[in-house]
Amino acid sequence: MNLIVLSIIIVVYLLIVGYLGFLGYRGTKTEGDYMVAGRQIHPYVMALSYGATFISTSAIVGFGGAAGVFGLGLLWLTFLNIALGIAVAFILFGKRTRRMGHNLDAHTFPELLGKRFNSKFIQILGGIVIFVFMPLYTGVVLIGAARFIESTLQVNFVLALMVFSIIIAAYVIAGGLKGVMYTDALQGTIMFIGMIALIALTYIKTPGGFIGTHVELTSLASQVPENLVKGGHQGWTTMPVLGSPLWWSLVSTIILGVGIGVLAQPQLAIRFMTVKSNKELNRAVLIGGIFILAMTGVAFVVGAISNVYFWEKIGKIAIAAAEGNTDLIIPTYINMAMPKWFVYIFMITLLAAAMSTISSQFHVIGTSFSRDMLRVGVNDSSGILNSDNGNSKKSGKGVVITKIGIIIGIVISIILGYYLPPSIIARGTALFFGVCAATFLPMFVCALFWKGSTKAGVISGMIVGIVTSLFWMFFVHKANAEMLKLVVVLTGKPSIFGYPWNAMDPIIIAFPLAFLVTIFVSLGTKKLPQDLIEKSFKNI
Amino acid sequence: GVSVFLAYILCILSTLFCIIYGAIMWNKDK
Repeated sequence: MNLIVLSIIIVVYLLIVGYLGFLGYRGTKTEGDYMVAGRQIHPYVMALSYGATFISTSAIVGFGGAAGVFGLGLLWLTFLNIALGIAVAFILFGKRTRRMGHNLDAHTFPELLGKRFNSKFIQILGGIVIFVFMPLYTGVVLIGAARFIESTLQVNFVLALMVFSIIIAAYVIAGGLKGVMYTDALQGTIMFIGMIALIALTYIKTPGGFIGTHVELTSLASQVPENLVKGGHQGWTTMPVLGSPLWWSLVSTIILGVGIGVLAQPQLAIRFMTVKSNKELNRAVLIGGIFILAMTGVAFVVGAISNVYFWEKIGKIAIAAAEGNTDLIIPTYINMAMPKWFVYIFMITLLAAAMSTISSQFHVIGTSFSRDMLRVGVNDSSGILNSDNGNSKKSGKGVVITKIGIIIGIVISIILGYYLPPSIIARGTALFFGVCAATFLPMFVCALFWKGSTKAGVISGMIVGIVTSLFWMFFVHKANAEMLKLVVVLTGKPSIFGYPWNAMDPIIIAFPLAFLVTIFVSLGTKKLPQDLIEKSFKNI
Repeated sequence: GVSVFLAYILCILSTLFCIIYGAIMWNKDK
């Protein structure tokens, strides 16, 4: 690894990112530009921005490493990523979100839900959930990036964490959502090239080609370590034993938690409001589908078949080669198996994956703080904190307070990044996606598709979703509860329930429960005014 | 094992759906 060559590549990359951030700054004239990119974004930029924001180092390194342990069963998540995360999200959710966001003049995800149900409470609580939980997700993505900068550029972890955050913060604060999306498009393009090269080189490097590699991976089933066999592991080309602890972990946390949670991600839903017509969303489906297959499909396949490479070269399976840390499987494989020139490309790929996700996380934290919590929370009817229609100048107070919110979010994320434990990347990501699914998804589905849903119904569902998620996370789900430690302190046990309940992810319980509560309470409570329904669903 | 194989096939099919849907609509929206 030539540090000088790598440093030059990174500096050139950062200069281009800086220029794109400047273009965003120059194109931002109003608050609407800053928050929803003026609703005029090109479909290529929108699709890549959505994909690059969705896919972070968590997906490539965290979940790619998980595929090194669990095997190709993770491809169920790739299927959900494409089928739900792209096709359903764009075609069914995206078009209605775009139109409704425009009808109600919403600039944030909680604002859309709040205005749809005529409830400030929903907007404020939604803003608080994002402001509290999003830094956790940002923190784990930051860790992934900073650990990787630490090991490749040989700089101190804390320094890497700080400098990396400040660089991203600079173009997010200056360029607003336009700056974020322009840089996302560049980063998404780099990620696509990097991952296509990775899968091609992987099959070239592994003797036997495509078929031979998979046959050999199947035959490695006899090498699964004893502790994984006890957990239900049956090899890398088959699912774990139905109902075993590993099966629950794979299916409930990794596949369903992330696969369903994507539909209610505030930083992704806001993307639908940045294009001017359904035409752009239709075109984005084509680009998005190919992009996601090239991201998670490649990462999971490479993670699984890295076992074949490690076994042939050093007689170990992937998790043993990475000395027990799942987050190190992909980096170890890249450093051992790939030609030197590709290692440079992969570095930039990972840097782009982390930056494109973190920039949107910072942006959403900022808009939640200013537009959802403060403006509505302090009953700012005079419009001092924010204009209502998004046409005020970008130097207006709404944008200034958003920038303050971004800075607060960054500080919290850096502190979390410093204190969070190792092997946290995939778990922290799944945890955030699960909370979002339980809190927002039942309400989001009802907002878009059910005119009969009521304010009382969706608020009940939202509260049940949050409370059930947190209760299950802290007291029942063993993997989370052991990490959070509260249940151990209070009861002396790692979980208050036995198996299989303690192996189930919170989303399995909280999401269906929140949905049922939303439906039943809606059926028995006062309907929303007809004029609000007509306004919301105009031209839908 | 069939379940993993099915996931593989569904990944390819869902991507093909995105490509075909996107291409048809692209043509239609011109």
